[in-house]
Amino acid sequence: MRPIDLVTLPLAALWQQKTRTCLTTLGVVFGAFVLSASLSINDGVQQTISRESGRDDVLRRIDVFPSWRRQQPAAPAEEVVVEGKMSDAKRARIRQALAAYNARQTGDDNGVMLTPETLGKLAGIKHVLTVEPDARQSAFANLNGHSESLVLNSARPGDPAHVGRLVAGRFLEDPSEHSAVVSEFLLYRCGITDEESVESILGKKLRVEVRRSRQQPGITVYLVKPDGAERTREEAEALAKVARGLPMLLDKLGLTPDEVKLLRPDSASEPSELEDEYVDEFSVVGVVRDPDEREKNDRRWWESNVDGEVFLPYQAAADFFFRFPQQREWGVSSARLLVDRLENVKEVFRQVKELGLTGNAAIEFIERERFQWLMVFGGMTCVAAVALMVAAMGIANTMLMSVLERTREIGIMKAVGAAGAHIQFIFLAEGALIGAVGGALGLLMAWAVSYPGDAWVRSMVAREMNIELKQAIFVFPPWLALTVMLFALLVTTLAAVYPAWRAARIDPVAALRHE
Amino acid sequence: MSSAAIAGSTVGFAVRTANLTRCYGTTAAPVFALRGLTLDVARGERLALLGKSGSGKSTLLNLLGGLDRPTSGKLSVADRDLERLSARDLARFRSTAVGVIFQAFNLIASRTAAENVELPMIFAGVGPRERRAAARQALEAVGLSQRLAHRPAQLSGGENQRVAVARALVNRPQIVLADEPTGNLDSNTAREVMGLILTHVREHGATLILVTHDEELARESTDRVVRLKDGQLI
Repeated sequence: MRPIDLVTLPLAALWQQKTRTCLTTLGVVFGAFVLSASLSINDGVQQTISRESGRDDVLRRIDVFPSWRRQQPAAPAEEVVVEGKMSDAKRARIRQALAAYNARQTGDDNGVMLTPETLGKLAGIKHVLTVEPDARQSAFANLNGHSESLVLNSARPGDPAHVGRLVAGRFLEDPSEHSAVVSEFLLYRCGITDEESVESILGKKLRVEVRRSRQQPGITVYLVKPDGAERTREEAEALAKVARGLPMLLDKLGLTPDEVKLLRPDSASEPSELEDEYVDEFSVVGVVRDPDEREKNDRRWWESNVDGEVFLPYQAAADFFFRFPQQREWGVSSARLLVDRLENVKEVFRQVKELGLTGNAAIEFIERERFQWLMVFGGMTCVAAVALMVAAMGIANTMLMSVLERTREIGIMKAVGAAGAHIQFIFLAEGALIGAVGGALGLLMAWAVSYPGDAWVRSMVAREMNIELKQAIFVFPPWLALTVMLFALLVTTLAAVYPAWRAARIDPVAALRHE
Repeated sequence: MSSAAIAGSTVGFAVRTANLTRCYGTTAAPVFALRGLTLDVARGERLALLGKSGSGKSTLLNLLGGLDRPTSGKLSVADRDLERLSARDLARFRSTAVGVIFQAFNLIASRTAAENVELPMIFAGVGPRERRAAARQALEAVGLSQRLAHRPAQLSGGENQRVAVARALVNRPQIVLADEPTGNLDSNTAREVMGLILTHVREHGATLILVTHDEELARESTDRVVRLKDGQLI
């Protein structure tokens, strides 16, 4: 037999039973469709997750936070004395609670803070490129003769989230440079209202003052303003004077001696400085506009905070932050590590945890997401495979019937020269043709459906998650088409193996007598 | 007669059988269709096999046509010891060395007359263009040039048998086996069909083995008549 006949004979046989062939093929089409759609959307979603989350090196970042959990156990619970008569179980419970309570009271349960020492350890971890402490703190900024209460933000040099909002000058270029970028709204509040004047602020000094109350026994005074506004620099200075003088005025407030004693610790009997003040100056190198609504809303959880009026480079901000002794002890609220390569992120994160710190690595979140989707689409693929298996059983059944119906035809073929192998191949080829046509149609159908499907998913993602997807969710790479076609071919050909074997074994003499 | 004797003396013979036996059924209850049949047919000879139903005529024809294998004995057809051939070689033998014409035509209903005639050539490995031309020529030779694209259901009994004749002869077989080829035809058509077969046999020097009930047809169409009864020559 010639190769062309190995195709035309099975085709002719299938064509002869059009309805049956169509129905049989339909099962394969459905299975191939579900399989294609499942593989397509799985690959597309995985790619989209990687693409969307892979922007700005987000997968190489680890956000580290201090750990407030006790690292070293407090005094052993066994050493805690529990008084009273009670059951052993209750005694054990009270002992545990007392141990924890005592630890909290004595401050023994402090965890690992992001102090300069800890940040140094983080920077020393192999594969860590940079450590960006989030050293934001409230301060007074003096510019153009005005003093404004605000939050000093630390920023990463060249951060695109800020660079895109520049209206004058440049953005920060070095983590340690003694420069600042300010918002145009701060300039407005400082009296620089004309647009032409904005440029004039570049190169000027921004004087920054930070005042911190000392955490020591005594009386603290707060000023609550009717409009809830922040205290001004002048108000802060006045409050500091009140706090310093108040312990000495207790005798004149009509209090009993015992009450005076309660409120005036020995150390507060003499006037002392209750606040520290740190001052520094930064050159203004750039001006940014405030973020618009879209920039605020479209910001992803891993992207920088774009709100703020003064941005210092993160290292300079941290140096300024740690000038205050208690802040050196408490540490910064978080730090962001940048790892050299993606494959080292997990190892670095492990070492971060070993230091007793907590954190988030985007890659872990992404991997969890990808795993979840993999499970969902893995399930869909299983359903598709089952559908194809069911279709295969249908094919096997149909072909067995076909063998029976075509017994005489098989006998005739054998009588005129067909070998058993020819007959076997004809039936196998029929199965394969059903698989090829069904697989191709299923693939085609999935591809056709992907267009409205893609539009729907994109609109849903845009509506629900406010993410504008730039590329398709359904993807059809060559391997997918090849996999679907091969799988459909394999399943249907395997389904034809037994019928083909039966057909090949038909005795021609008996077959020619078959009615 | 020994196998060596047959093998050494097939020259000049189209068919040689020795102690050919075909047994159906079980060992406990065997049914002998042929019992030690020995028969020689010369090349180009036209032989008629006569006998009643169940005498073993069709069984012998099936064995000669390579459709069945003997239970025992020797069988040489067209210089091939059929009992020794593999299944693949036997299939090739069927498609090239012999042409079988059945009483019931045995055409594939879903295929046209031309496609039915092409069938043996497909399994013989003849190319599509070549076999289409050969099929057309064979059908023209049996007077069916206008019926190439007709299916068996669209043809008369005589026409169907002509298609079957064209199919059996298209590969120019050395041996033509005809099993009651006119059994389902009226006398005129039967004469026409038989005439076609004999013409081919004469023109190509082929050997004809004709199975029939019709003594007159046997005498008119063949050189020799042998009779079978209970699986043996009488």
